[in-house]
Amino acid sequence: MSYQFDFVAVFDYSSVLLAGTAHTLLLTTVGAVAGLGIGILGAVSRAWQIKPFDRIFAVYVELIRNTPFLIQLFFIYFGLPSLGFRLDEWQAAILAVIINLGAYTTEIVRAGIEATPRGQIEAAESLAMTRPQIFRHVVLPPALAKVWPAICSQMVIVMLGTSVCSQIAAEELTFAANFIQSRNFRAFETYFIVTVIYFVLAVAVRQLLTQAGLRLLGRRAR
Amino acid sequence: MALVHIDALHKHFGSNHVLKGIDLDIEEGQVIALIGRSGSGKSTLLRTINGLESFDEGRIEVDGERIHPHETDLRALRQKVGMVFQQFNLFPHLSAGQNVMLATRIVKKMPEQDAVDLAKAMLLKVGLQDKFDAYPDQLSGGQQQRVAIARALAMQPRVLLCDEITSALDPELVNEVLAVVRNLAAEGITLIMVTHEMRFAREVGDKLVFMYQGRIHESGDPQTLFANPQTPELASFIGSIN
Ligand SMILES: Nc1ncnc2c1ncn2[C@@H]1O[C@H](COP(=O)(O)OP(=O)(O)OP(=O)(O)O)[C@@H](O)[C@H]1O
Ligand SMILES: [Mg+2]
Repeated sequence: MSYQFDFVAVFDYSSVLLAGTAHTLLLTTVGAVAGLGIGILGAVSRAWQIKPFDRIFAVYVELIRNTPFLIQLFFIYFGLPSLGFRLDEWQAAILAVIINLGAYTTEIVRAGIEATPRGQIEAAESLAMTRPQIFRHVVLPPALAKVWPAICSQMVIVMLGTSVCSQIAAEELTFAANFIQSRNFRAFETYFIVTVIYFVLAVAVRQLLTQAGLRLLGRRAR
Repeated sequence: MALVHIDALHKHFGSNHVLKGIDLDIEEGQVIALIGRSGSGKSTLLRTINGLESFDEGRIEVDGERIHPHETDLRALRQKVGMVFQQFNLFPHLSAGQNVMLATRIVKKMPEQDAVDLAKAMLLKVGLQDKFDAYPDQLSGGQQQRVAIARALAMQPRVLLCDEITSALDPELVNEVLAVVRNLAAEGITLIMVTHEMRFAREVGDKLVFMYQGRIHESGDPQTLFANPQTPELASFIGSIN
């Protein structure tokens, strides 16, 4: 093997890597928080058949789960402007991530909500709690705790999936990698380092979410 | 005027006519023991009294407040009627103390410290003052049921409904729960309990109500009815239990 490795050629662009990493994390964080919010709303609408939102969410979930993320992203970025709805690459990327994660978390959280024993809801009803109070205090915390591992996995999947946003020139980590190797022609070194960064991010994000779950949802979220 | 007044109550589940004209008056401080075979409508009757089941015809009044057959806003009623279930139904993510405090905090909007004090007092009443921070899965069935009783009592209901609250317990845990109920009865709390504990019904009950196929078939003083059932159905029911 005569190839000379030159990782320094990549580290010359460390500020670009850093910015890309930061953007990937930002995209993931905003997507995760908003996506989880949508997921909870969608889940309660579907599990408790709140009309007409249950139908709307059902269609939304099917639409997102059965189409590729890249197409969803292209649709938002390239398709919507035809309707006069123009977004810059970051707005489009964030919107796409939120919409995508919202659909998956709707299904995940719904499973948790539906696992609530009927008797616990009746006990809460007989304590004169309102439906929103029952949802907030009795149904949601154990439901989230039950499905938290699945939510963590989905968020990591989405974080790795944000890589696709480089296709609309959102300057996240993959975009940074493409940019760097087009300048230094060190494809192996560049993608090797970016692979390591993604791997470390994924492990760290999963750990962080798991710990956050234990903190916020108690000892059941594992 | 009776605390709970039930008049010509009818209830169907689809084509199944489950309550066929129930008339029942319950005075303040009375302990009612509701007995009868499986499927005779005991749970359904109890659950209409706090609106967990709707009904089709008739009239229910609790403490002067009328329940309308298909009312959805039942919160005022439910603050007057507590319920304890066969399966305890504690909230598994909350400690015993938090279980007892939850509704006083968010329904009655009681200040935190008052709610804590009240929860401690209620746990003391059921003999679990040292279990405030224990989670339901760290408690025995009997202890869980006593927490459930404390939780219902914390709302200071006018009447407490108990649906076979010892039926899911191991035999050796039944007495600790019955002892709590016995104390409540002695304190003068109005109780309506569905039970298969015939000795308990006889000792603690002020009135025995025997349900048979959706009707009150016989009712009256427990001692008298047990000694001298007026109908063959009650006689055979008592015989089958003993
Ligand atoms: N949610 C429901 N939907 C349909 N039918 C029901 C429902 N709940 C009860 N029933 C029916 O109503 C009748 C009375 O039931 P209920 O639970 O009141 O009896 P019960 O006297 O409490 O019996 P058990 O001693 O077994 O608890 C039964 O025929 C039962 O199948
Ligand atoms: Mg029953």
